[in-house]
Formats: sequence, C-alpha cells, structure tokens
Amino acid sequence: MGGGWGGWFARRISLSLLTLFLLSLVVFAGGQLLPGNVGRAILGPLADPRAVAALNHQLGADRPPLVQYLGWIGGILHGNLGRSLEFRSPVAPFIGAALVKSLKLAAVAAIIVVPLSIAAGVAAALSAGTLTDRVISLAGLSLTVIPEFVSSIVVILIFSVWLRVLPISAAWPAGADPFEQIRHLILPAVPLVVVLFGYIARMARAGTIEALEADYTRTAILKGLPRFVVLRRHVLRNALLPTITVIATQTSYLVGGLVVVETLFRYQGIGSLILTAAIGKDFPMLEAGILTVGAIYIGVTLIADALAILLNPRLAPGMAG
Amino acid sequence: MPRPYSMIDPLRRRLGPLENHLVDELLAGRLSRRSFLRRASVIGLGGPMLAAVAAAFGPWSAPLAQAATGKPDTTIRVGTSVPAGAIDPVTVGDAGGLLMLQQVGDFLVYDQPDLRLAPMLATSWKPNPDGSVWTFRLRPGVKFHSGKTLVADDVVATMDRLADPKNASNALSVFQGVLSKGNTKKIDEHTIAFHLDAPNGNFPYYVSSDNYNAIILPADYDGNFEKTWDGTGPFRIEKYIPKVGASFVRNQDWWGGPVLPARTEFSFYDDQQPQVLALQGGQLDIVSQIVVQGAQGLLNDPDIAIIKLEASTHRQLHMRCDIPPFNDKRIRRALALTLDRPAIVAGLFRGLSDLGNDSPFAPVYPATDKSVAQRHQDIAQAKALMAAAGSKGFAVTLTTEQYQEMPDYAVLIQNAAKEIGIEVSLKIETQSAYYGDAVFGRSDWLDSPFGMTDYGHRGTPDVLLAAPLTSRGSWNAAHFKNPEYDRLVADFVAAIDLSSQRAIAGKIETLLLDETPVVFAYFYDYLTAARKSVSGAQPTAISQLFLQSASAG
Repeated sequence: MGGGWGGWFARRISLSLLTLFLLSLVVFAGGQLLPGNVGRAILGPLADPRAVAALNHQLGADRPPLVQYLGWIGGILHGNLGRSLEFRSPVAPFIGAALVKSLKLAAVAAIIVVPLSIAAGVAAALSAGTLTDRVISLAGLSLTVIPEFVSSIVVILIFSVWLRVLPISAAWPAGADPFEQIRHLILPAVPLVVVLFGYIARMARAGTIEALEADYTRTAILKGLPRFVVLRRHVLRNALLPTITVIATQTSYLVGGLVVVETLFRYQGIGSLILTAAIGKDFPMLEAGILTVGAIYIGVTLIADALAILLNPRLAPGMAG
Repeated sequence: MPRPYSMIDPLRRRLGPLENHLVDELLAGRLSRRSFLRRASVIGLGGPMLAAVAAAFGPWSAPLAQAATGKPDTTIRVGTSVPAGAIDPVTVGDAGGLLMLQQVGDFLVYDQPDLRLAPMLATSWKPNPDGSVWTFRLRPGVKFHSGKTLVADDVVATMDRLADPKNASNALSVFQGVLSKGNTKKIDEHTIAFHLDAPNGNFPYYVSSDNYNAIILPADYDGNFEKTWDGTGPFRIEKYIPKVGASFVRNQDWWGGPVLPARTEFSFYDDQQPQVLALQGGQLDIVSQIVVQGAQGLLNDPDIAIIKLEASTHRQLHMRCDIPPFNDKRIRRALALTLDRPAIVAGLFRGLSDLGNDSPFAPVYPATDKSVAQRHQDIAQAKALMAAAGSKGFAVTLTTEQYQEMPDYAVLIQNAAKEIGIEVSLKIETQSAYYGDAVFGRSDWLDSPFGMTDYGHRGTPDVLLAAPLTSRGSWNAAHFKNPEYDRLVADFVAAIDLSSQRAIAGKIETLLLDETPVVFAYFYDYLTAARKSVSGAQPTAISQLFLQSASAG
C-alpha cells in the first residue's frame, strides 16, 4: 500500500500545482477586466492624466499585460512573490504578516467551533426526535443565518462598549504574549463560530444518525459490545467522515473570506488584503494573496482526504481501484 | 461707531494700492471684519496694520484651535482611514495618506478652518500689482528632522517637483495653468518668488495646507519618503506599519514652540463603523473624520464632542448639455426645481450642511455673493418649464458611486424627478467603475448623460469653477460650453481684491442658475469626533488634523 500512497500524493501534488497555475491565470485575466488602472487608483480620479501616465510608467503597469504576467511568473519560479504596486515594496512581508494573523484567527475559531458543534451534532443524533435534538438543530439553524456584521456588532457592543471586558480591535499591541493575543481574538472568533456552528453540527448529526442505522452498527450492538465502544469504534468513525470534508471546505472561508470580520475588528488578515489589492488594481499583491489562500485550501483538502482514508481504509489508494 | 482713522492713516502710507483698496473696502462698510481679515491674510497684509485696524475696530474673535486645557505629555490615539498606497508627498491623494504627511511636514502657509491664511514656513507674502508674481519670505532657523536647515532651495525643489509633469505629481492638476516647473525662483536664502502662468488673486492658497502635497521637503529628497519621513513638522516618525497604523513623537526642535502631546498613535480602519465603536469604547480619543450616515449615535453621545467645520465638500449632479434629454436648459432648471433642499439636508446630514445654489460658490467662501436668491423647490414652475420645453417627461438613467450618502441622495432625486414626469433609474457603481479611466470616452463619470460625482473641500472655488465647468475643463462631465462663463471665470481667478471677486461671483452664480449644467444641492460640514476629554485638536476640512496643541484626559 506504501507505493499506492506515494503515487496518490504525487498525483495530488501535481494536480494542485496545475490548479494553482490555472488560478493565477484566472485572477490575472479577471484583473484585466476590472476598470481603471493602478496609477489612477493611487492618484485618485481628479489627478492629471500626465501624472497617472508617469506613475504607471514608474510602476511598470503600462507594459503589455502578458509581459507583466510573464515577468511575475518568472519571479514566482525564483521564489519571488513580486513587489506591491500600491505600496512600492515587496509583497512577501504583507502576505506573511496577514497570513499569520488569518491563521491565528482561524485557529481560535476552529478550536472553539469544531469540538462544540461536533459534540452538539452527535448529542442531537443520539437523542433524535426529542426536545434536546430540536433545540440544538433549531439553534444551529438560527445562528447560521445571522450575518457576520450583525453578530460582530452585537458582541462588540456588549463586551467592549458596555462591559468593557474585551478589546474591540483584534489587532494586539506589539509584543503581546500569546494569552493577550488570544484575548484579542475571542470577540472576532464569535461571529465565525456563530456562522459555522449550525452547519457543522447538522453534518455531524446527519452522519451520526446514518451510522447509527447502518448494518455494521446493528451487528456490533448484537455482538454485545458496550454502547461506548460501539459509538467510538463504529459510529463516530464513519459519522465524522462527511463532517471532516465540510470542515476542510470551510478553511478557505476561515482563512481568506473574513473581510467583514476583519474590517469590523480592524484585523489586517489576508481577506481584506485581497480585497484592497483588487480595488487598487495591485496585481502582484492580488495574485499572491489569492494563490496563498488557494494553496492553503488545497493543502487542507489534501489532509482531509488523507484523514478520511485513514478513518475508512476502504477509500485507500489501490483499494478503490 | 466712531472710526479713529488717525490711527490707521500713518500706516496706510506704507501700503501698496492693493492693501489700501482692501482697507478702503473695510472702512466703507463693504467688507465685514471677518472678510477683511481673510482677504488681508491672502494678500499678505499683516503686522502693525492689522494690529492698528484691530485697535480701531475693537478685538475680534479668531476661531483658532481651542487652547489646550488638559495635561501635557499624553498620547493622543486617533482613528483614520487606511492610506491607499505608499506615503509619498508627491503622489498621495487620499485622506489617510495626507494626514500622515501633515504630521511630520509643514506648509508655507496654513489655511485655517475659517479660510484665513496664517504663516507657517513662510512668514509673509505679497503679490505684484497684477497678481502674476508672488514673493514669499521664509521663516529663518527652521530645521528638518534630519538636522538640515530650511532654505529657499528646498522650497524651489519642492515646488518644481510638484509642478513637473514627469513626476506623477498629484498636485499637477492644481498647478495646471497656475505654476509651471522652473518658475519658482530663489531671490535669496530666505526669499522666493513664484512667477505664475497667469495672474491669480488666490495664489497663497495653492501653496497652503489646502494643497496637501505641498509639504516642504529637503531639496535632495530622493523619492523614498517612508525611509526618512524628513519634514519640519511638530512630530517625528516613531513607527509606520502600512495598512495597520503609525506612531509619532514630539519634535523638541519645532519652530512653532512646545508640542503638547508626547506621542500620537494613528490606527488605520477600512470602515467608519469600527472607529465609531472604538471611540465609544474608549479605545480611541479622536476619529479624524466621520460622516453622518452610520455615526448618528455619536451625535447624541454625551461623552463625545463633534468638531464641525463649515466646508465646501459637495456632490455635483451633472446633466449633459450637449445631448438629449438635458440639452434644453429649461429641462435642467426644471429638474433642479424639484429638489427640496432643506429636507434633503435634514435627512442626509441632520442639518449639518449648507444649502447649495447650483454653483461652486459655497456659503463658506468669502467671495460668494449671498445676495443672489437661493433656489427652492417649486414644482409648479418646474412643470411650466417642462411644458415650455415641449416635454411631457422621459426616462433617464442616473449613474453614480457607492460612496457615503450618495445612493440615498440618488433615491431622493429619483423621487423628486417623478413629480414632473422624469422617470429616473439608478445605476450605482463602485467608485473605480464610475470614474473608469477618468478621461472623456472611457469614464461613466465624464460620459454619462446624467451622473453624480463626489467633490472634496477646497479653500478657494478656483479649481471648482474651472475644471468641471469651463469649455475645456478636464472634469466637465456636463459638457457645458459657454464662452461668457469661461471669460467670467478667468476674470474671477485674476481678480485680487475681494469686492471685484464678489461682483464677478454674483454674475457667475446668476449665469449658472440660468443654465444649470450642474445641481449643487448642498455643501456639508466636515465632522471630527473626539472624546470630551480631548482639547486643542484642530482638524481642517481637507482631512488634516493638527495635534501640536492637543491634550487628552
């Protein structure tokens, strides 16, 4: 099976690289369709056209699009992410700082929401049809439809403006220790937990109910195995497979799609970096930001698939044919 | 009131014809004391003459920065918008960026909130008789943060850099037709003369804080401002993190005297809402600019003070004069008459706004002729004009930007126009889509038959009179071409004394009311929000924030 795994990984990695390349092409082509140009974005609509032309020339943004793209790709192959047109400095430190921040916030949110929602989903499934089940399902569904800007403002008003127990800004002061950083991340994590809780809990509940009704579970119970062992070995193992996939697909949202939360909590994550780069026509920054999020998404999906195989060896490479 | 001319007369003998004319206007009662002071500041009349006039007419209150009453050595925490790109005095064009420049830099002249000019790096200035050459004296002994002493060469280099079309200068559109590269001349180490492209009675505003790019840099500035942040201003850079924030420390050697705060901290925000919350939550002392939409809670908050500045910030609702349906001026006037301006201002700005009278002459400008009747809603007259033009109504698209109150204002226009049978559909775009390439033929702003555009505050109406409305104006979205108007604007710009300016302004206002290429419904106030514990902070409507006299707590 070792060779199977090696081949599987090699295939997946090369597919991933191809995907990222295609993604860079799509972003580039999409960027060409956006109105305006970077010189105009920096200088503003009322600036003299001669000044705009001069700035575009200084930045190299007046070169043919294909030349710009090829130059950028050439840099990437040499490990150089390029220079931001708007900030006139290398892109890498911007991406690095924003990525670290985004990952920290995503991690805090995930550490809260994943165990909480799985536990709630499994609890609902085990008491399917009862009041507990209904309360959990209804709460999950209701929370999911609350927009992030609503839940964000509600928690800020309660905990920062009225009670003043937690900071409004997610940006911690320079030199803050990990505990202080987490304290700053609690409030912004709440809207993410609110959005994801219902979704993950519902998947966990559905998976658990399906597994509970499966033949192998009935066989295990008939064999006389203790309830706890049946749950752990037979039910959860199978029930959580779709849940893991769902969590993996939410990673790109957690890492790169938090523009609203980042804006409200003044947190310079990669989501708002991508948005402002798109508005400013800052092509190297936009490409680097989107490819970073894309690479993380692909990486997490790869891990989730590997995890699914480990949990269910029938999916293993070479087994499925 | 008895007027002790005897106190003034001996001094008048030393004045030129321009200065004497201004004093005559004051003595004849044609100028208010406030207008006199403003105009005196423009032509550089100062010192003993102003003191004598003040003595003769009694003291007047100058709406300067309130004196700091709190403790010194505090840190002032400010929320502001994210600078849109690299901080470079030559290219900066956004509120967040120009605010950073102004912390470390000084201008030749400071345009105060009441539009009076005050000396900054220039101590005095005066025009030649026709206003085509302006001579400025520089303050001696001023030091850059790097330790170098300010001399005339630095000013010459700064102005030439901004006036050079090869330099991606954001001030190029301001200097267009006013000041060209090579025409800023050094007279001696502390004197410079600006030789203008054409006579200009308001020139000192062009090198004042109004022209936010014009902070004076060392002559050897190499284009990398973020490396040195070298200016002459009250604060030195401590730390700048793009997209995150900046901090500054007091400049002990500032020419203007002691700087009250020990430090200032600026946090950058993408949106107003979190700034409002952070101010209410006590995590900011000042939000540099707020707009009424989304900040209504602050207006009634007992812990928050709102600093209001009357300004010329406005929206231009243009109607293309060269193509149907607005090529008949009766139809343009009819549309303008449908708007209930007091109600619009009450709804959009809680009344924190002046009414517009369909010309760039905002009430804040001293040159504005306020005797020209204000246009009010008159549906009957509007219907009569439509009938006279043979129109029973039509459908038209209003193209505009997703920016601040503009979509709401567009809906109010839509509702008002219905009254006279004009069915307006709205096309609300992102700002970059609306402006497009910002040249004719490739811009919804400049090409749409009916559009609405945002315009920021300016200390004089000159640019607003020329670029959006003259026949060859590069922002002329209304495609308005009127030789009489062009001539009046040229006369206005060249006029040096206020009474001539006001006389021409009256003619321009009347002409524009008749033609109505653009509706100017309001000029709203510039608002800064601060905690009540803050004193001495002085914003300008350009988006600057002077903090050298500020105190918190």
